[in-house]
Amino acid sequence: MDLDLARQAQDGDESAFAEIVRRYSPRVFSVASRFFRQRTLVEEAAQEVFLKAFTQLGSFEGRGSFEGWLTRIATNTCLNMVRGAKRRPELTVSDLTEDEQGWLEHQSAGNGGEPASVETSLVATDLADRLLSVLSPEDQQALLMIDGEEASIKEVAEATGWSESKVKVRAFRARKKVRDAMEKLLSYKNKGTRADSTAD
Amino acid sequence: MDDKHITEILDKASIAMLAESDLNEIRVHVLACMSCRDAFEAARLSAVVLTSRAQATIEPSPFFQTRVMAALREQQAVESVPAMLRLWRSAKALVSIMAVTTATLAVVSFMQPAETTPVAETASAYSEYSVIMDRDADEQMSYEQVLSTIYEDDDEAR
Repeated sequence: MDLDLARQAQDGDESAFAEIVRRYSPRVFSVASRFFRQRTLVEEAAQEVFLKAFTQLGSFEGRGSFEGWLTRIATNTCLNMVRGAKRRPELTVSDLTEDEQGWLEHQSAGNGGEPASVETSLVATDLADRLLSVLSPEDQQALLMIDGEEASIKEVAEATGWSESKVKVRAFRARKKVRDAMEKLLSYKNKGTRADSTAD
Repeated sequence: MDDKHITEILDKASIAMLAESDLNEIRVHVLACMSCRDAFEAARLSAVVLTSRAQATIEPSPFFQTRVMAALREQQAVESVPAMLRLWRSAKALVSIMAVTTATLAVVSFMQPAETTPVAETASAYSEYSVIMDRDADEQMSYEQVLSTIYEDDDEAR
């Protein structure tokens, strides 16, 4: 069915390509959302993905799924857009906002089981972006897929074009970097808490 | 206590995906090992923020399909124009200005009258050099006059 749609779109059937856009927009937006938070950037990336897909329709031979093929185009397009952005090599607690510090304290005090409000979700998402900024864009994507979306190694391999072994190694290293960054933040926070209680 | 072993367990998979046996091992270990307890806490919080981040997806607006189709038509319209014609359309203003400037300079160069170089004729028409070299002067003066003009200076020099 997808192969037929692709062939019709390649032959100039505009309605066929419009159907492809309608059907796979959520998927492409999902991929772009791993790399960007702002709606304008996500839409810009998604549009670029579909325009590229149109010019490359002839290369889809129907061997794999159309969704997988389109996901790879989306991944490469987004990676090209973010490449070159500066990575922050180290986070310190002074980089965090008050809300983020408050969220960390709240979670560490064992209150993580409470339902998350919109505000706390936003704070957690902001904190995630800060932690992920210590990783390369490729590692960010892999870790978000595995730890955030509970994607399988196979799904990540299909999306990135990596071997499954490479996915496991990259995810392992990325997880360690993020955990180290979080440990540092918690240790700075705890030192500050102990100093405050001593002063009192 | 094998701290390295505990952190390796933490790093090999997300906490949510760890086997129950691994989790039990971690829980027992962190009771006695403070550094691994901190590592476990950091891994737990990292998993929470990553899950939150993964849920922050943006859905396509109802107009996105229209936007893509419009962009596609525009892309096809650009590609249907031959490359040279596209190049001409973008560069014709500059080319026109250059052509007009070149034509103007050419007209100015050819329209200017030729200037004659001034000859410094300080000597009289009957100076010895002009007498000798100027055939017109010879026609105006007699032969004797020419000779006397030439040798007059020699006598004065002696």
